[in-house]
Amino acid sequence: MRRLLFVLPLLTLALMAGFFAWSLTSGRDPASIGSVAAGRPAPKLDLPALRPGDPPLTDADLRTGKPVIVNFFASWCTPCLAEHPLFTRLGEREGAAIVGIAWKNKRDDALPWLKKLGDPYKLAGLDLDGKTGLDWGLSGVPETYLIDGSGIVRRHFRGPITERDLNETILPFLKGAVK
Amino acid sequence: MLEFLLALLTTATVGALLWPLLSRSLDRRDRLEGELAIYRDQLAELERERAAGTVPESEAAAGRIEIERRMLVAGDAAAGVRPLAASEAWQKWLPPALSLFVPLLALGLYLQVGRPGLPAAPFAERPAGQHPAPPQLDVGRLLSEARARLEQDPEDADALAALGEGLTLEAGGTVTQPAIEALRRALQARPDDPRILYYLGLHEAQSGDSRAAIARWRDLEAKSPPDAPWLGVLRAEIARVARAAGLEVPQASQSAMPQPNREQQEAMAQLAPEQRQQAIRSMVEGLAARLADNPQDRAGWLRLANAWKVLGDNEKAADAYGRADTLGPVDARILTDWAEAHVRQLAPGAAPSPQAVAVLERLEKAEPRNALALFYLGLAAEAQGNKPAALQRWKTLLALLPADAPIRGLVEERIRAAGGG
Repeated sequence: MRRLLFVLPLLTLALMAGFFAWSLTSGRDPASIGSVAAGRPAPKLDLPALRPGDPPLTDADLRTGKPVIVNFFASWCTPCLAEHPLFTRLGEREGAAIVGIAWKNKRDDALPWLKKLGDPYKLAGLDLDGKTGLDWGLSGVPETYLIDGSGIVRRHFRGPITERDLNETILPFLKGAVK
Repeated sequence: MLEFLLALLTTATVGALLWPLLSRSLDRRDRLEGELAIYRDQLAELERERAAGTVPESEAAAGRIEIERRMLVAGDAAAGVRPLAASEAWQKWLPPALSLFVPLLALGLYLQVGRPGLPAAPFAERPAGQHPAPPQLDVGRLLSEARARLEQDPEDADALAALGEGLTLEAGGTVTQPAIEALRRALQARPDDPRILYYLGLHEAQSGDSRAAIARWRDLEAKSPPDAPWLGVLRAEIARVARAAGLEVPQASQSAMPQPNREQQEAMAQLAPEQRQQAIRSMVEGLAARLADNPQDRAGWLRLANAWKVLGDNEKAADAYGRADTLGPVDARILTDWAEAHVRQLAPGAAPSPQAVAVLERLEKAEPRNALALFYLGLAAEAQGNKPAALQRWKTLLALLPADAPIRGLVEERIRAAGGG
């Protein structure tokens, strides 16, 4: 019985080593937590507009028959700054319909941020308490959803979008090539 | 000093380790001898006390038996360990050997890869000028100055470019939408401005169009004079963006100006100054000959003009600028160089030639406050008998010049000679 007790740490070590070896070799991405949203209808959207005077955002904005990009951002988020030029280009050069949602961000912070960087959003909403983010399965900002014309989420990017995402997924999606 | 202290410390540590290790070196057999000697002493003492009558006979007998029993136990114990003698020597010498080996290994390694002769350089003693911090651009001032100038003239290309740069720096290096708009407007007036081209390319790189960014920057690189101060940064940025986008890092394009390789540069450094001048001249003439065959190479003409200007052949330089200009209008920076190439050909006090006046007038139009244009166009006006126009230009120039500018005296003299002031 005593002997067995001495073997216990060794056994634990072997178990852990086995798990680590499997993690390293199986090609699993530990940072990826997947997405429940992809492939399903877009979660509920019911938010006040970020820009004063705009109409509030509703589910109808996501079911226009045309692809929509939904981007959660915040002025306090540095990766959002890095991906912002990509949205500037998407809005300006590709004419994409982009819905921006300021997540846990005060209006007085988000609006000057957009004024400084340029505002590529066709519609902009304010999710101050983060409840909509919860419905959408948001883990943080920035996150971006590609929603097709019938309101189905086709892709969900966690983290800033990159040149590669743009060229391989987003631009083909806007042309209707990604299902 | 520090080395000495460290050596002292190591020696003390090794000594502290070795002392108990070596002093424990008594052999088991030596220990047995010691034990037996004690027991023999005890036996002798017991015998003396029994003889003196201080210990009763029966107790003395019991004591002797006890001591003899202990002697037997000690002997048995020593006999039991004796076969282990070989490994005992191993155990005895390994710890001291290790405690000496480790510091000696460290010393050998340090002498091999370290640099014991290098003087210490404590941070506090380092002279501040050794690594001068790069001059920080004052973003706030850059922006406020650019905005003030734009209020005066909303189409001031230079101010628009400065605004674009300032907005980008303010956003931590992200080319923002307002910056892009300013830069695009500036580009219309200055299609060759390296600053505008750089930031527009940076936006393309940041917005996921690395190919366009690299193409724009390659073009800028080809147009830049070979000694342009921004070339290093530009090439590093091209390489960085190409790497990030997984594109092949493009080789520096074959510039129209032959770049001497390392051996050629070294060989050139060996030459006497006149010979060196000759060698450079022959390279420039080679470029001129190639351009005669391929006259559509605008960047090549600009490079050639720059080379002639550096060599002091202003006539050929002005001609090359003209050829570049016919292929595509040059911007204000190049106009300045071109005008300089013209006016350097003038004898002191002579009026500029009609070709020079044409260039100077274009320069004045692009930059109404350009000192070179103001001065020489004044000379031209005076030569034509238009003294009021000459006086007006020179007075404008005088107002623009700083109070300690050496050229002030000359301008004032001209104004007096023309009957003004």
